[in-house]
Amino acid sequence: MANLVELKNVFKIYGEGLESEVRALDGVSLTIQRGEFVAVVGQSGSGKSTMMNVLGCLDIPTRGDYFLDGTDVRELTDKELSLIRNKEIGFIFQQYNLIQSLTVLENVELPLIYQGIGADDRYDLALEALERVGLSKRIKHKPTEMSGGQQQRVAIARAIATKPPIIMADEPTGALDSRTGHEVLEFLQQLNREGTTVILITHDNGIAATARRCVRLTDGKIVEDREQEVDWF
Amino acid sequence: MNIRQAVKMAWKSIWGKKGRAVLTMLGIIIGIASVMTIVSVITGYASKMMEQFEAMGTNRIQVSVYSNVWTQDENGEMVPAGKDYFPDVYEYCSGMKDLVVGVTPQAYFSATMVYGTKTTANMEYQWDESGMNLISAPPEFYYGSDQYSACSNLTITKGRDLSYLDIQKYNQVVVLGAQAAKIFFGTANPVGETVQLNGQNFEVIGVYASRIKEGSTSMSTLDNFVLVPYTCKRVLGGEQGSDTFIVVAKDPTQMDAIVTQLDGFLKGLLNQGTNDYNVRPENQNMDYVTESLNLIGGVLAGVAAISLMVGGIGIMNIMLVTVTERTREIGIRRAIGAQRSSIVTQFLIEAAMLCGIGGIIGIGIGTLGCFILGNILFQMTIYPSAMVTAGAFGLSVLLGVVFGCYPAIKASNLQPVEALRAE
Repeated sequence: MANLVELKNVFKIYGEGLESEVRALDGVSLTIQRGEFVAVVGQSGSGKSTMMNVLGCLDIPTRGDYFLDGTDVRELTDKELSLIRNKEIGFIFQQYNLIQSLTVLENVELPLIYQGIGADDRYDLALEALERVGLSKRIKHKPTEMSGGQQQRVAIARAIATKPPIIMADEPTGALDSRTGHEVLEFLQQLNREGTTVILITHDNGIAATARRCVRLTDGKIVEDREQEVDWF
Repeated sequence: MNIRQAVKMAWKSIWGKKGRAVLTMLGIIIGIASVMTIVSVITGYASKMMEQFEAMGTNRIQVSVYSNVWTQDENGEMVPAGKDYFPDVYEYCSGMKDLVVGVTPQAYFSATMVYGTKTTANMEYQWDESGMNLISAPPEFYYGSDQYSACSNLTITKGRDLSYLDIQKYNQVVVLGAQAAKIFFGTANPVGETVQLNGQNFEVIGVYASRIKEGSTSMSTLDNFVLVPYTCKRVLGGEQGSDTFIVVAKDPTQMDAIVTQLDGFLKGLLNQGTNDYNVRPENQNMDYVTESLNLIGGVLAGVAAISLMVGGIGIMNIMLVTVTERTREIGIRRAIGAQRSSIVTQFLIEAAMLCGIGGIIGIGIGTLGCFILGNILFQMTIYPSAMVTAGAFGLSVLLGVVFGCYPAIKASNLQPVEALRAE
C-alpha cells in the first residue's frame, strides 16, 4: 500500500536569494502511513506550522515533492487542492476558526455545502458530528455564545463532518485549559482508534506524548523521529 | 456550492449589517428611482399624447395662416388684420369632396361657463378613487365649423351636431363633449338647456359620444370640451380671424396631394409670395413632440445614469471593505474546501443582491415619483410600464455584478494561508 503522506526533500523558503531568506522547511523528508497518530513537535519558529500548511495542501512547497495518497500535490490545480482539503483533510486550529456570523450547525454544515450535499443529508451528517462531540443540543447558538472548549468541539465536529481520512490539528489545545485540552486530545485518540490518521502539531512535549510517533523539528529540519510509549487518557 | 446556498449566505451577510447595507444601497436607490421616474413620465406622457392624437382622428393636415392675424395699416403699424380666411378655405375644401372628410378652424378660447350653480370660475380638478376618471374639471372651449366632428372623430349621441346654418347665422349654440356633459349635467339630458358663456345665453343642442375606449389609459380630459360655432367669436370676444385650420383627408395616401393643392391655393389666395402660411400633416407635429420628449428624456436619463454609476462605485467600495474585513472568513472557507469559484460566486451574489434590493426600493420610490410628477406636470396618473420596471431591476442587478466583480475576484485570489493569518 502506498504511503498516505510522503514528503521528499521538501523546502519552503521565504524571500529566496535575499539576505533575509528564511528556510521554514529545510529539506524535510517524511512518510506517514494510514492509521498513524503523529505529533510534530517544535519550538515556535521551528517550521511546524509551515509543515502543517504544506501537509494540509494550504501551501505549496518551494522545492521537493509531496505525494498525498500517491498523488503529486505540486501537479494539482487550485480547484483540485480545494477538493482535497474538502474531502481528505479535516482541520482543527488553535483559534478554532469558526465563522462568527454563522450558527454552530451552519459552521459544521459548511464543508458539506462545498461538497454539494443536499440540505437533508447535510443536516443529518452535521448533527451526527455534533452528537459525537456532545453539542447536538446547541446547534442554533452562535460561536460567541460558547466557551472556548465548546467552540473547539464545534471545530472538531466541522472537521469530522465529512468523515475525512486525515485530521490535522494545529495546537488544538493551545487556547484551552488543561481539562478541556485533555478532552480534545482524548477525542483525537478515539478518532485514531477508529482508523483516522491524525497529525498533531504542538510545541508541548507533554501533548506530543499522546501520539505513538513523535517527529521533532528544529530550524526547519527533522532532528528526531521516533516511536514512543503513549499516554492513554 | 449551489446558487441557493450562495443566495442564503449573501442574505445572511447583508442582514447581519442592515444599517451599512441601507447606506450602501442609497446611491442605487436614488439612481434607480430617478431613472424610473424620468423614463416612466416621459414615455407615459408620450404614449398618452399619441393615444390622444389617435383619438382625435388621423389623416389631419394643419393649415396655419399667419397674415390674417397681423397686417400693416396705412401708418406702417402692425395691427390685427381682421380678415377671416376660413370661408375661402372651407369653400376650396368643399370642392375636394373626394379627397377631404372635412375642414374646421382649430381654436381654443377661454370663457366662463355657467349652468345653474355650476360655474367654471371655481371648478377644480377632481379624480375618482382610481385616479383615472375625472369627476370635475373646467372644460376646454373650442371654436369649430359644422365639420368639426368629422375632423375630430366625433359622433353625436344626443340632440344634433352643429349645422352649416348655425355657422352662417351666428347661432348661439353649443355641443358638449361627453365628459363636459357629465360634469355639468350628470345623468340628466342637457339638450335644450341654456348655459351662459361669458354672460351670453347659449343653447345646448347636442352631446358627442365619448372617444375614450373602454379600459384605455387616455386622459379623460379628451372629452371635456365645449364646441361653439367659430362665427360666435364676435359675441364672445377674441380676434376675428382664425389662424389655424384642420383639414382631414379621407385616405392617408392622399395627404401629400392635398397638401400640394392647399399650398397652391393659399399661395394664390394670400397673393403675397411670402411664407405667411404653412400646410403640414399633423403627425409631423407629433414627431416633433416625440423627438423633443426623447431628447429631454435622454439628457435626464443620462444624468440619472451618472448617479447610478456613482452608486455602483459605492457598492464596489463597500464590497472591498467587506472583503478585507472578512479575509479570515475567506481563509477558513478556503481551508475547509471552498473553491475560488465558490468565493467569487458568494461575493458576486452578495453585491448583486445588495443592488437588487436597492433596485426594488428604488422602483418603489420611482413609481411613487412617477405618480406625483405625472399629476403635477400633466394632471394625469402615469403608471410605469412593466418593461421599464423589469429593466430598472435588471439594471440594478447588473450594476451589482459589474461593480462586484473586482472585489469578488480579489477575495478569491487571497492565498488560504495568508487569509487564515489575518486578524
